[in-house]
Amino acid sequence: MKNSFDEKILEEAHDWVKANQKVVLATVIQTWGSSPRQVGSRMIVNEKGDFSGSISGGCVESAVVRECIGLIKDNKPYKKIEFKVSNESAWEVGLACGGEIAVYLEQII
Amino acid sequence: MKHSQLKEIIKKKASKTEFAIVTNLGNGLSEIYEPGKSLSKEFELHKDQINNFFKLKKNGVIEKTEIFVETYIRPIKVIIIGAVHIAQYLVDFAKSLNFEISIIDPRGYFASEQRFPDMKIINKWPGEAFKEIETNENSALIALTHDPKIDDPALQHALKKKFYYIGALGSKKTHANRCERLKVAGFSDTQIQSIHGPIGIKLGGRSAPEIALSIIAQLVSETYKK
Repeated sequence: MKNSFDEKILEEAHDWVKANQKVVLATVIQTWGSSPRQVGSRMIVNEKGDFSGSISGGCVESAVVRECIGLIKDNKPYKKIEFKVSNESAWEVGLACGGEIAVYLEQII
Repeated sequence: MKHSQLKEIIKKKASKTEFAIVTNLGNGLSEIYEPGKSLSKEFELHKDQINNFFKLKKNGVIEKTEIFVETYIRPIKVIIIGAVHIAQYLVDFAKSLNFEISIIDPRGYFASEQRFPDMKIINKWPGEAFKEIETNENSALIALTHDPKIDDPALQHALKKKFYYIGALGSKKTHANRCERLKVAGFSDTQIQSIHGPIGIKLGGRSAPEIALSIIAQLVSETYKK
């Protein structure tokens, strides 16, 4: 059986929007291999780069923050990004666990 | 996602409605899905698959499409008998784990709002209190008073309704006496053995937060076993 182990990220997103912050919602939409967070895991990012929640075990959060800030700057409504392990960048951005994830970014408008 | 939609989602979550968010990853549009409710054309085409995800309580992208489905299910109901010290910590743990807690305690001096702010406390005897809470085999019971007058009727209710988790605080001796009383009341050995008593996994701790942690750990573990 499942419980709805909900991390209340959407509620927090709402609070941020109410406080006049620009907010991007990042959601794990697909995973392949061993990835730390399951599909549906969420994180929010504002224009200053503050973030809450998680979409991996800390492996790709920094890259997602950068992408989210970019989305706000370019005033784009949404974007899909994928993270794979690549040898050159694995230690900086990428999943050390060998998994792959796809993340969907969307601005709250 | 529009802010108005975000607000609607939060409202639905708060009212414990089961629903799904469907998002077209190709054009950024999203809608709220509920069984029986019609969707816009682009999502209506995939209604059967969306409904499948919903029934399986699954999140994911529908195969060969760009439609992402995220389902929201009701939190599990956990009924605590006894507004005691351990219950205060259980309430804290349950908040982050998203269990829906109700506390039953007929003793008014325990069940005060000051001890349990923002908490639903039913200040009645279990027999009366359970009339106010809808329970089924997906509910859980944590009996903490170790007073047979209060715990026993609640345990009997939970056994009859086949709660997936039933735990009762008390020493081995207290629990043996409790089992004996339930036997006399007509419950089978299998039913009685399904009660976790003494409650909780073995952590070794004795303080109220440690006992609460051992109980909540057992509850989570039993949730995934089912």
